[in-house]
Amino acid sequence: MAGGLAYFLPAAQLAIESTGQVISQATPSPTDLLLSPQPQSPSAIPVAGSFTVLLLGSDDDSKFRADHVLTQSMILIRVVPSTKQVTMLSIPRDLYVHLSTGGFAKIDGAYSYGGPGAAMATVSQDFGVHINDYIWVGLLGLIKVIDAIGGIDVVTSHPVIDDYYPADVFSRYPYSYERVAVLAGPQHLDGIHAMQYVRSRHGDLQSDFGRSQRQQQVLLAIRQKSKLLSPEDLPAIASAIGGELKTSIGISEVAALLPLAASFDNPDQIRQIVLLPPYTHGGGPGGSVTANWDLILPLVHQYFP
Amino acid sequence: MIARYVLGVSLAVVMLVFGTTTYLFLGTRTSHVAEIPQKPTVATPRAQAFSMSGTLYIIQNGALYSLSAGRFHQLTPEAGWTMPSMLPNGTGLVAVRRFAAYSDVYILNRFGQTTKRLTSNVAPARNTDIGANHWSFYPRVSADGKTLWMSYDQPKYGYDVVMSVWALPMGAPIRQGKLWTNAADYSGGDVQPIPVRTGMIYTKYSYGPDDKLVGQLWFTNRAYSAGRALTTPGEDCRSPAVSPSGTQIAMICTYEKQISYLMIASWNGTTLGARKGIITNQLVAQPAWAPDDSGIAYLAPGAPAGPFQLWFLPKAGYAPAPTPSPSPGASPVASPSPAAPVKPVQVTTNNGFDATSPLAWSS
Repeated sequence: MAGGLAYFLPAAQLAIESTGQVISQATPSPTDLLLSPQPQSPSAIPVAGSFTVLLLGSDDDSKFRADHVLTQSMILIRVVPSTKQVTMLSIPRDLYVHLSTGGFAKIDGAYSYGGPGAAMATVSQDFGVHINDYIWVGLLGLIKVIDAIGGIDVVTSHPVIDDYYPADVFSRYPYSYERVAVLAGPQHLDGIHAMQYVRSRHGDLQSDFGRSQRQQQVLLAIRQKSKLLSPEDLPAIASAIGGELKTSIGISEVAALLPLAASFDNPDQIRQIVLLPPYTHGGGPGGSVTANWDLILPLVHQYFP
Repeated sequence: MIARYVLGVSLAVVMLVFGTTTYLFLGTRTSHVAEIPQKPTVATPRAQAFSMSGTLYIIQNGALYSLSAGRFHQLTPEAGWTMPSMLPNGTGLVAVRRFAAYSDVYILNRFGQTTKRLTSNVAPARNTDIGANHWSFYPRVSADGKTLWMSYDQPKYGYDVVMSVWALPMGAPIRQGKLWTNAADYSGGDVQPIPVRTGMIYTKYSYGPDDKLVGQLWFTNRAYSAGRALTTPGEDCRSPAVSPSGTQIAMICTYEKQISYLMIASWNGTTLGARKGIITNQLVAQPAWAPDDSGIAYLAPGAPAGPFQLWFLPKAGYAPAPTPSPSPGASPVASPSPAAPVKPVQVTTNNGFDATSPLAWSS
């Protein structure tokens, strides 16, 4: 018993530190509610039914103050356990929206202004989606997660070559650059190279949209690898991740979700959506991306009812 | 009082032993997904159930290894080595050494000793722009030994850094080289040149009809000409390897999904024939034909989602069985029972080879 407790101590510590976090959501004003296409009650949906998680990925290097970081990646994930269907919708980081904290700005600033609650409330009000929980992971966290599970197998779609990739994770000079060349084809990626693959956007004609597609590839590869883990792996992973992951999902829900994740075997039941033109178009204020809500909202309501 | 003391000590001992045992037991129950791959030489000498012909050169963690007669030998330190390719006379190899911001092509002898550097891609000392460095990848030497083919990141325009295929006289500076392809902007570019008798085959990355980036094999016989596509965008193919007879090409095709198939097709010098999938049930990379035409080596995970191992598919696993022509007047005989399908051989189990590096194989 004592050995078991000691063994699972790192996992328990991580659970206490990072899971089940209380979210303080900015209360939308009546005007906000009118703007929201389908405001929904914030009551939690049980795991047995469908549920939606907002996955947030951030630059959390020394350029930013902790908890005032931008979210470089925002992916809505809806899981329907009964049909074993998963839908992933990547939200462009530069999308110009009405923030839940007030005013209009790029959506990647929502977390910076109000933390995960504001990020959830902003997505919820603008897209008309009920979000059950969030998971936030920092740059270093993604690297550590992938290394902790022994790397991932990915078919990289093309050579990702970037002469001005930010050297801000391990460098003493967070505004410096490094050259990156992730070569194309099937390969086993460690954390650093997976990060380079999903983060680089200078060499992609589709910029952030191309990057979103690569992020979804890597997410699926992590899920594939996670299926091979056993509960006894959790302490090592927990100690590797450290404080680089935060979530509102409680430890009991995590335990309920693990077998569920393993049961999703059919890749054809995983739908990936990236809001390319005509759903969005460039030329917004301050280099932002403008949403075509007339197209986006029906799409979102179809897959995130 | 003594009995209570003895009981307390006994319980403490039991707790210590049981707790430690439980801790150790739980430790043994972890999966092996994060196990660090071994060096190939750790298993040497090991009785190999299977030994491939000739000498195969392969990369793990930036070190060049040879595999000959079932034994691995480490030829270079772990120092960024990748993409070996045989010199046509078989006396050595060309290979890339990759540094943080650039890479160069070197000639190595068969023992892994560097004999010459063929490119100079580091930025000039006074230039502080990191973009002034260059990448050279996928070097190949022409059959006459006079020309070095490679992918090189010139021309590039600001953020639009793409690889293009270049040819240059062996040992000559890049200014004497010739740009052979016109890479599509923001695509990753043109890579993996394979000089053939009739011209050059390469992989071109470009945006397909559905705006996804895909790989296609192309053939050209003129510098800076478009040439012709050998595969369709929907096949999404890469990593061409020409058979020793020059009549077949092996390649990796993904059909724009997170899968990969090892395909082979006949090759007449200008066009590809019908495709045949020979490995379709696992992620597969870097096919290499045996010089004696005995089969195809390739890299694929040894376990689901695991590091890539070395595999070998004997020729009987993909070549059509010869059909005996019946002689006139011969009496009909019962047809032989169908032979058992030939399965691929997993040569290594826990090595984690570099799946982005082609294999080199000499007789």
